[in-house]
Amino acid sequence: MTADSPRLRLGVIAIIALSLFAALFARLWYLQVLSAPDYQLKAQANSIRIVPEPAPRGRILDRNGKVLVDNRASNVVAIDRTKLTEKERPELMARLSTVLGIPAEELDKKLDSKQVSPYTPVPIAEDVGEDKMTLLLERADQFPAVVARRVAVRTYPMQSLAAHILGYVAEVNDNDRKEFPRQYELGDMIGRTGVERVYEKDLRGRDGELKIEVDAEGRPVRVVSRRPPAQGHDVVLTIDADIQRTAEEALAQGLKSAQGQPFVDPKKKANARLVADAGSVVVLDTKGSVEALASYPTFDLPALADGVSEAEARVLFPPPDSKETPAFVNRALQGLYAPGSTWKLITADAALRTGLINQNFSLVDNGTYITPGDCTGRSCVRHNAGSTAYGRVGVSRALSVSSDVFFYTLGANFWTNRHDPKYGENAIQDVAGQFGFGTQTGVPLPEATGRVLTKELKNALHQKDPRLADAGWYTGNNVNLAIGQDAMLVTPIQLANAYATFANHGDRYQPNIALRIQKQDGTVVTAFGPRKFAHVDIPPNVWNPIMQGLEGALTDPKGTATNAFAGFPLKQWGIAGKTGTAQATPKQDTALFAAFGPTADPQHVVTVVMEQSGFGASAAAPVARRVFEQLAGVGNTAPVQFTRANGAGD
Amino acid sequence: MGGSVPRNAAANFNRNPGSAWRHLDLLLLGATIAVACLGVLMVFSATRSTVGQAGLASTTYLVRQGIFVALGVGVMAVTAFIDYRHYAGLAPLFYGGCILLLLAVMSPLGTTVNGAQSWFAVGSFQLQPAELTKLATILVLAALCSQGTGPLTGRTVVLALAAVGLPSALILLQPDLGSALVFVAAVAAVLFVAGIQPRHLAVLALLGAFGVIYIFGYSSYLDTYQRERLTTFVSNNAQNNASFQVRQAETAIGAGGVTGAGLFQGTQTKLKYVPYQQSDFIFTVVGEELGFVGSATLLLLYSAIAWRIWRAAAVARDMFGTLLCVGVLGMLLFQIFENMGMTMGIMPITGIPLPFMSYGGSSTIMMFAAIGLVLNVHTRRFA
Repeated sequence: MTADSPRLRLGVIAIIALSLFAALFARLWYLQVLSAPDYQLKAQANSIRIVPEPAPRGRILDRNGKVLVDNRASNVVAIDRTKLTEKERPELMARLSTVLGIPAEELDKKLDSKQVSPYTPVPIAEDVGEDKMTLLLERADQFPAVVARRVAVRTYPMQSLAAHILGYVAEVNDNDRKEFPRQYELGDMIGRTGVERVYEKDLRGRDGELKIEVDAEGRPVRVVSRRPPAQGHDVVLTIDADIQRTAEEALAQGLKSAQGQPFVDPKKKANARLVADAGSVVVLDTKGSVEALASYPTFDLPALADGVSEAEARVLFPPPDSKETPAFVNRALQGLYAPGSTWKLITADAALRTGLINQNFSLVDNGTYITPGDCTGRSCVRHNAGSTAYGRVGVSRALSVSSDVFFYTLGANFWTNRHDPKYGENAIQDVAGQFGFGTQTGVPLPEATGRVLTKELKNALHQKDPRLADAGWYTGNNVNLAIGQDAMLVTPIQLANAYATFANHGDRYQPNIALRIQKQDGTVVTAFGPRKFAHVDIPPNVWNPIMQGLEGALTDPKGTATNAFAGFPLKQWGIAGKTGTAQATPKQDTALFAAFGPTADPQHVVTVVMEQSGFGASAAAPVARRVFEQLAGVGNTAPVQFTRANGAGD
Repeated sequence: MGGSVPRNAAANFNRNPGSAWRHLDLLLLGATIAVACLGVLMVFSATRSTVGQAGLASTTYLVRQGIFVALGVGVMAVTAFIDYRHYAGLAPLFYGGCILLLLAVMSPLGTTVNGAQSWFAVGSFQLQPAELTKLATILVLAALCSQGTGPLTGRTVVLALAAVGLPSALILLQPDLGSALVFVAAVAAVLFVAGIQPRHLAVLALLGAFGVIYIFGYSSYLDTYQRERLTTFVSNNAQNNASFQVRQAETAIGAGGVTGAGLFQGTQTKLKYVPYQQSDFIFTVVGEELGFVGSATLLLLYSAIAWRIWRAAAVARDMFGTLLCVGVLGMLLFQIFENMGMTMGIMPITGIPLPFMSYGGSSTIMMFAAIGLVLNVHTRRFA
């Protein structure tokens, strides 16, 4: 060691000190100069929380402004099971029980519910008081996994009225999020069916956003900014709540009174009893606005406001092999039926239009018809309903009394003359297509397409599956076609729209379900006018005899619906209509009735279709009458009654 | 250690007491007081909203730290005024007293804060004997190692290690690993400058390495919490609590940017994202609210302090003065580097206060006393 070694050693100390300061300085430079933007973002992400404030959905109103669907605010306390450990659970349940005033066992039971996906928070209390909500939010650390939020819950001032039309809302699922990419967060509500679904975009509104600064424990310190939620727009429907109610009640009463009535099954010798378990009513104004759609059986709509439980799902969507009638199907739009004699409108139009007959043509109907030409065997002999003989009938009277023999003859004659270019092979089907059968009506709700059978379609069906149809097209097929049988499928709304087209002298509209979208203050956002879709030229020599026949169905002493409308002021408020009774093997016959009025200036079309209910004249016409009474302002509150068939019935 | 008062000391002091004060190191004094004032402000910023929530006046900590600084300046005047050479003789007494206090704090008389039984509660104030012991130990070391001439003998080295080992062991029992490490830094600096022989140095280095490996690898001394804190900066495990603290501290400093969020404006600070903000993590407040400008200025002030202490060590007229300053320098450098390094994520987390900045009476007053001694050595370099 030299004498100046302490100085040397101090030098070493100085170098160490310098390097330490240099290291600190370098790190400081890195953090505060080079990486500052990153850290600033991190600090912000730390302290800013964005709390969405769900926007209440728009309301759904009837055409007169009556509220069908509304909202109310509800404070919901839910538990996120993914964030709750078994260890914490008993203590949490005890605390929640004290705060909410609900026994712990009850909370436990709700928490174990298997009806809620394990990944979505399970609601354990609804309509919780504000003070309790505040307490839960402030002491979030003591209530792990507890989600307390304010939600808008759908309310239904008219209960289940128009349940099928309105539909319900539910939390978004994976399918919804696929259909509307990037628009929904888990836990958001979405219209699942009906108008709620179709007008989702208008009804939804825009969620608000609360930006709050929180401290390290997640406690809110201050509100940074707030964008208030904007309620969705109201949808004003074309539905008239009063007519809707009448239609639903009349349908339910009609089915009830039909149940147990004798049903003469021509195939089975023994007398059976009518089942009458389902049906639908369509009320359409002649410009295409749907005024009412009733479908039976219906369901408890308010019960779905808090989500669809397993039990509810079983009623709504029974498994395909079950005997339950699915309540959720809107039969007015999705039910598929053979149209039966209501189809005679089409056949008559085709025959008059093509000149196969004129209004003076008549034949003698002795109640029995033998299929000419290529038909062999017993099935070639056909009868009117009840084998009633109507004597000499023209087209008008054939419609009024529903003479099958008359229309069988037309069907056969069309086929016989198919090589004449005036008719062709599809003379009836072509007219059916012009009246809208076989294509969707365009009503903005899910609807079935139906099917007008042609030779080509029948062969195609046979190719696909020989059990669906045999090959080829024979006279017998055309004969069946003429009276709306033989694998023909129509929806009640198609039937209504076809009769509306006739009532309009050929103007065919796409039915509307909504009149307009409007803001809360009533400002119109979008108005939906009548959507004229096509025009069928119906010259007077075609229109007049058919109209006469349809009026006769209610006024002719032998008219099929005359009994059902006995006492109705037809002189002041005339109605033209057609009954139908369609075979629906293996089920019992479908009862149908399609009509419009007032005949002086047709405004409304009503179709009633009732499954397993026998004659249209007995079951369906009385239901339609009740609706017409409402439309015509005729007071009547007596329950709808199954009516004895007038002669043959049909 | 009797008779360790250096030659001429008493004579010079008595003959001309006023002359030494002409050589007072104003830069050291100024920088120290500047840092301490900044510290008071930062402690206020770190605590004003939290104590408000607790129902106390928001200025509670401001006032208390202000009192500590005032007391510290007073103590500094005392330690600077009385010729440092007197302290060589008093050192063993002072040291013995501190050891007794350390023993007492382990008894039921002591108070436990944050898991370490390190405090005496005196009224509403708390006394942390470990802080006082730092200075006492440095005095004893300096006195011990300045005896005789030439390289340190093995006996001196062993004595020095014993003098450090006793308080370190007691402090480790509290347990307070950070404070114990300060002793290691101080003794290393003193022994090095005093002229430790290379072979002794080699043996000590080896022992130290084994000690570290033993403590981390095999001993049950460190509990999980401490191990976590110490190893976080190496393992970078995102899950544990300690790494959360480090990330929040780094975020606070980084978010300050060049000019800072402004006094009282730091969200990391106000919203309590950084733990122990008024004490161990006080630097994050400087970083976030005053930015790079403020932090670099603080670093510059510390550099100035370190430089002036080093200079005092270099110009001291005797070995005791030199070693005294070196001991203080070692302690100060270690605490600054460890504390700031920890908040910036380049050093492990240990509970060591940032000199003159962190809230705390014992630490602040002890640090002022230490600077007083350095001023003392500097002013008397010619006398």
